[in-house]
Amino acid sequence: MSTLIVCRCEEVSLETLQKTAYQYHCSSRELKLRTRAGMGVCGGRSCRMMIEQIATAGDNEKNYETETIPLKYQPPIRPVPFGVWGGLSDE
Amino acid sequence: MLDAMIIGAGPAGLSAAISAAQHGLHVEIVDEYYQPGGRLLGQLHQEPDGEWWNGIEETEKLLEQIESLHITIHCSTSVYDLQKVNKKWVTYTDQGNWESQAVLIATGATESPTPIPGWTLPGVMSIGAAQVLTNVQRIQPGERGVVIGVNVLSFAIARELQLAGVDVAGMLLPPPHLLSKSEGVPQEVLSSLLRFSHLAPSVLMHRGAPFVKGRLAKNLVTAFYPEKGMGVWGIPLQLRRTALEIKGKNQVEGIRVAKVNRKGELRNAITHDIDVDFVCIAGGLSPLAELAAIAGCKFIHEDALGGYVPVHNEKMETAVSGLYVAGNITGIESAKVAISQGTIAGLVIAKSLGARMINGKINEALQEVESRRAAATIQFHPHVISSRESLYKTKKTQ
Ligand SMILES: Cc1cc2nc3c(=O)[nH]c(=O)nc-3n(C[C@H](O)[C@H](O)[C@H](O)COP(=O)(O)OP(=O)(O)OC[C@H]3O[C@@H](n4cnc5c(N)ncnc54)[C@H](O)[C@@H]3O)c2cc1C
Repeated sequence: MSTLIVCRCEEVSLETLQKTAYQYHCSSRELKLRTRAGMGVCGGRSCRMMIEQIATAGDNEKNYETETIPLKYQPPIRPVPFGVWGGLSDE
Repeated sequence: MLDAMIIGAGPAGLSAAISAAQHGLHVEIVDEYYQPGGRLLGQLHQEPDGEWWNGIEETEKLLEQIESLHITIHCSTSVYDLQKVNKKWVTYTDQGNWESQAVLIATGATESPTPIPGWTLPGVMSIGAAQVLTNVQRIQPGERGVVIGVNVLSFAIARELQLAGVDVAGMLLPPPHLLSKSEGVPQEVLSSLLRFSHLAPSVLMHRGAPFVKGRLAKNLVTAFYPEKGMGVWGIPLQLRRTALEIKGKNQVEGIRVAKVNRKGELRNAITHDIDVDFVCIAGGLSPLAELAAIAGCKFIHEDALGGYVPVHNEKMETAVSGLYVAGNITGIESAKVAISQGTIAGLVIAKSLGARMINGKINEALQEVESRRAAATIQFHPHVISSRESLYKTKKTQ
């Protein structure tokens, strides 16, 4: 069977993520930083929930008590040209 | 400066704009898609009374009101940041920035597809993408395909594909692994299927529905479920077959299928391949809450609402002053509920900015949400009503 890719941008497999989560008892943020899953060009738009799911497997209650989403969102939440982001556009 | 900026031109955002503008507010709408309507555009299903729910027609009804109220919609405009600067909200987009006193986030939901080996091949798409291709862009996603994941959404959309003349070779379960959870377990899937048996005119489903109370009944029903699957509108619904792997060299050519037992475990290695040229993956839906997160909302996790939702009350107010939410960002529900949530948000924003309105107007809208929720044809989670009740009772936003 071919490998099961979870993060397409950085080509991180389910196997790598599960192994890392098991070995280091990672939070979702640590799992992301260790593997680069969710850090590619799309900003984790398709895999962020899977990363959270892998990190919280077997440990749900603890994680859900927080009042923030585990993998922090940061602006810009859509790809924008540097000029727009830096306020240099003509408008 | 605008009175209110509305992010998202789906049913919730459109109806909020309408009720706010009807009370004298100057509002504008931004949406990153090139046409307004959001997820409403792709919807097409039959209600239990035989009436068809046609999303394109429903969108047109809303847009007629938008036009007569002279509300501007900025399409193809992505919001990438949202901040409060000097007591004013600033909505940052790739087409410029807008200032407003209030902001409504009505960004809807996102799909959370279950990964399957081979799912990165061209020809694999989320079920929502297949819906947009077929119903909005009028392009068939392929000649013959399968749908992986059996839930209320994939059921409705498989039917839409079939009505569009696409050959749906079957509906299968995702392979059992950490990320497919109960979606790969035939018993669990069947009991959730029976909740929306009104969408599937099948004798077994109608007969089975009253019996699925408790585990014993569930076991019984799966025991009687034909192992080879059964046809629903002629689409083979195979609860005992799992999609092991999507095959193909440069694009989808087929799918490898294996038999599972009632618990969803792979019973043996007997597999067979089905020729298909496209595959739809139907995971589930979750609120699209990115903007609420960067604008400073607190969150709560509710399975029945689809995951993390920004803390809000039934009046669609968040704990952040001047920031409101409506529609699927508050929990996954049908378009009719989103429309009436939008109406509330528009009224509440208008009131907060000093608009005059008939007494009881907001209460009336609150009741409408409840009755639409109770009568919903497409209910995404069985506990949505109780989950909402407890959220609104316990969570203080002020
Ligand atoms: C794939 C899919 C299929 C569905 N099918 C059905 C169905 O058949 N029947 C049913 O009753 N319900 C269905 N739903 C549920 C659906 O979400 C609701 O019916 C309803 O459309 C929710 O309305 P809304 O206004 O909250 O969000 P949406 O209709 O999703 O509208 C949100 C809008 O916000 C815009 N947006 C999001 N982020 C940004 C941003 N950063 N900047 C600018 N614009 C942004 C989007 O482009 C979109 O137009 C489906 C949902 C999905 C995701």
